[in-house]
Amino acid sequence: MFCAGIDIGSTMTKAVVMGDELVAQVIGPTGAEHRHLANKVMEEALKRAGIPFDDVACIIATGYGRINVPFADKQITEITCHARGVAYLFPTVKTIIDIGGQDAKGIKIAGGRVVNFVMNDKCAAGTGRFLEVIAEALGLKLNEIGELSVRAASKAKISNTCTIFAEQEVVSRIAEGIPIEDILAGLHEAIASRVFRMAEKIKIERDMVLTGGVAKNIGMVKAFEDLLGYPPLIPEEPLLTGAIGAALLGCELVKKARDKGEAFERGERRLEAAKFFQ
Amino acid sequence: MTAKGLAKAKEIYAKRDLRVRELNAQGKKIMGYVCAYPTLEMVTAMDYVPFKILGSMDEPITKADTQVPTIICPMLRSMLDLGMKGKVDFIEGFIGAHTCDCTEKFCHLYQYNMEFPYYHFLDVPHIAHEASFGFLKSGMQLLQKTLEKHTGKKIDTDRLKEEIKKHNALRALVRELYGLRKQDPPLLSGSENLQIMLALMAMPIEEGSEMVRDIIAEVKERKVGRPVKKAGRLLLWGSPLTETSIVEMIESLNDNVVMDDICTGTRHFWPDVEITPDPLDGLAKRYLNDLKCPRTFRETTASFEEDQEARFGYIRDYAKDWNVNGIILQSMKYCDTHGYEVPAIKAYFDRIGIPAMYLEHEYTMVALAPLKTRVEAFLEMIV
Repeated sequence: MFCAGIDIGSTMTKAVVMGDELVAQVIGPTGAEHRHLANKVMEEALKRAGIPFDDVACIIATGYGRINVPFADKQITEITCHARGVAYLFPTVKTIIDIGGQDAKGIKIAGGRVVNFVMNDKCAAGTGRFLEVIAEALGLKLNEIGELSVRAASKAKISNTCTIFAEQEVVSRIAEGIPIEDILAGLHEAIASRVFRMAEKIKIERDMVLTGGVAKNIGMVKAFEDLLGYPPLIPEEPLLTGAIGAALLGCELVKKARDKGEAFERGERRLEAAKFFQ
Repeated sequence: MTAKGLAKAKEIYAKRDLRVRELNAQGKKIMGYVCAYPTLEMVTAMDYVPFKILGSMDEPITKADTQVPTIICPMLRSMLDLGMKGKVDFIEGFIGAHTCDCTEKFCHLYQYNMEFPYYHFLDVPHIAHEASFGFLKSGMQLLQKTLEKHTGKKIDTDRLKEEIKKHNALRALVRELYGLRKQDPPLLSGSENLQIMLALMAMPIEEGSEMVRDIIAEVKERKVGRPVKKAGRLLLWGSPLTETSIVEMIESLNDNVVMDDICTGTRHFWPDVEITPDPLDGLAKRYLNDLKCPRTFRETTASFEEDQEARFGYIRDYAKDWNVNGIILQSMKYCDTHGYEVPAIKAYFDRIGIPAMYLEHEYTMVALAPLKTRVEAFLEMIV
C-alpha cells in the first residue's frame, strides 16, 4: 500500500510517497501562489516514485496551506503530522522542537501520541525568518551563517525580543568591530533561547528531536546543545518529518477502515491547482 | 420590536442598543453597569432597565488610547472608546464595581469622561469569607442610599424580595436553556447560546425570561438549524466574549461547545439569590460567594489540591454533567485575571484527567487561523 503526504509550509512545500519505507520525496519553495504549486509537487513526487495517482491509497495534506489542496483526502494539522513522522524516525522521542520559516513549535509525545504542544506563529523572533533577515543584513547566504557562527571566539549578546531590534543591534556591533563569527554565534543563541523558553512550557524531556529547515543549520544545533547540555537528535532530512507523518497517518486511516471491513472514503482527488471559488 | 425567540436574540445581538433605545424613547430609564457584580435587583427595584456595558471586537479604537496605556484589557479599552464616541448616550447612570483591577480603573476613568448624572462605584471585596460578606452588605446599603437619593424613591424589603424572585426566575430559565446542551448533539450551538446571553444583558429582566421561554420551546421543536453530532464536546472557560467569532471558529471544527464558564455566559446568571429576612444578606452571599469568578480569592486550605478543588471544582462538575471531553481555556491578551489562573487551572485538569488547552486571543474577529490550527491539533489529540 502506498500513501502520500504533502506539507505546505509558509516557506517550503514538501511531498513524500511512503510504502513500507520512504519511496520518493520532493522539496520546493512555496512562494506566494502555493495553491498552484501543490499539485505540481505532488505530480513530481509520484513521478519519482513511479506510482500512478489512483494507486495511492490515501493522500493527507498538512501545513498552513493544507486547506487549499483539492487532491488530498483529508487535512491533519502539522502538530499531529510532525509527531507521527518523528516518532517513526526516532521511536524514543519525547520532545520535538520544530523551527520553520515563520513559526516554531514544541510538541510533547507519550505513547507515540501528542500529549501537549505549544506554538509561536505570531512573532518572527525565534523562527527561520530571524536568520533570513540577519543574513541579508550582513550580506551573507543563509547556508553560510551556521558554519561561521561555530567559529566564534566568544558570543556577542544579541536581543531576542524582536527581529527588527536585533537587526539594528547587529549593525551597531559591526560598527564596534565585533567579529562576524561572534555576532552570528550570539544571534543563534538568541533564537535558540527564545524557542527553548517556549518549549520549556511543555517541559523538554529526552529524547529531544530538532526538526524544520533551521535544524540544517549547524550553528543552531550547537546553540541548542549549549542550552540543553546534550546534543539534540536531528533527522537526515529535517524538512520532511511533517510530510512523512502525514503519509503514515494516511496509511493508518486506510488500515483502520479495512480492519472494520469498510473501504476508505477518498476525497474528490482533483490533481489540479486549487481555485479560490469552488 | 416584534421579533420573538431566537430571532429576537439575534437581532439584539447584532445591534445591542436596539431594545434599550426603544424603551428609552418610551420614557424608560436605562442604568448602565459593568461586569456581573452590581446588584441588579436593586437597579430594577428602582425601575431602571439594566444594560451591561460591553466592548465590541468590531469597532476600531480611535479615542481611548488618549486615556489608557497599551497593556490593558482590550475589552475595557473598547468600552471606553465606544463611550467616548457617544454610543451609550441612552444611559442615565452607571454602576461600576471593583471586580478586576483593570475594571476598577476603567470605572473611574469612564465616569470622568462620560459625566453621567448618576455614578456609583460598588466596592466588592476580593476574598470570599465572613468578614467580606458584611462589608459587601454595607456596600449594597450604600448603593441603595445613592439610588434612593438620585431617584427620590425608596425601596422597601418586600419590593426587593419581589425583584429577587424575578431575577431568580430568569436565572432558572437560563439554567434550563443550558440544560438543553447536555444531550448529544446539543439542541443549540455555543454560538447561538452566546448571542442569547448577550441579548439578555441588553433588555429588561421579565422580557428576557419571556424570550428564553420562547427559545426553549423553539429549539426543542425546530427541525432546521440544529447542531450535528461531533466528536468534541467542549467547555469554554475564561474572559468575556462579546462577539461569536471565536466560538464560531471553534465550532467550525469537529466539536460542539456545550458548556461555558465565562463572564458573558454562566457566570452572570448561574447562582440564585437566597431570599433571607434581610434580603441584603442573601444578595451579598450570592454575589460574593456563589458567583464564581477568578477575581474572587477563595480562602486557601491545607493543600494545593484542596485549594484547586475550592477554586475549580465547580467546573469539573459542569464537565461531568455536560459530558465534556475537552476544555478550552481562553483569555484575551493582557487579561491578568484569567492569565494568572491558567497554570493552576491547567494543572487541575491535568491531574483529574480532563484534557485542556489554553488559547490567548486578541479580542478580534479576524486573524483567527493560527488559533484554529491549535484547536484543531487539540481535537486531533483528544478524540
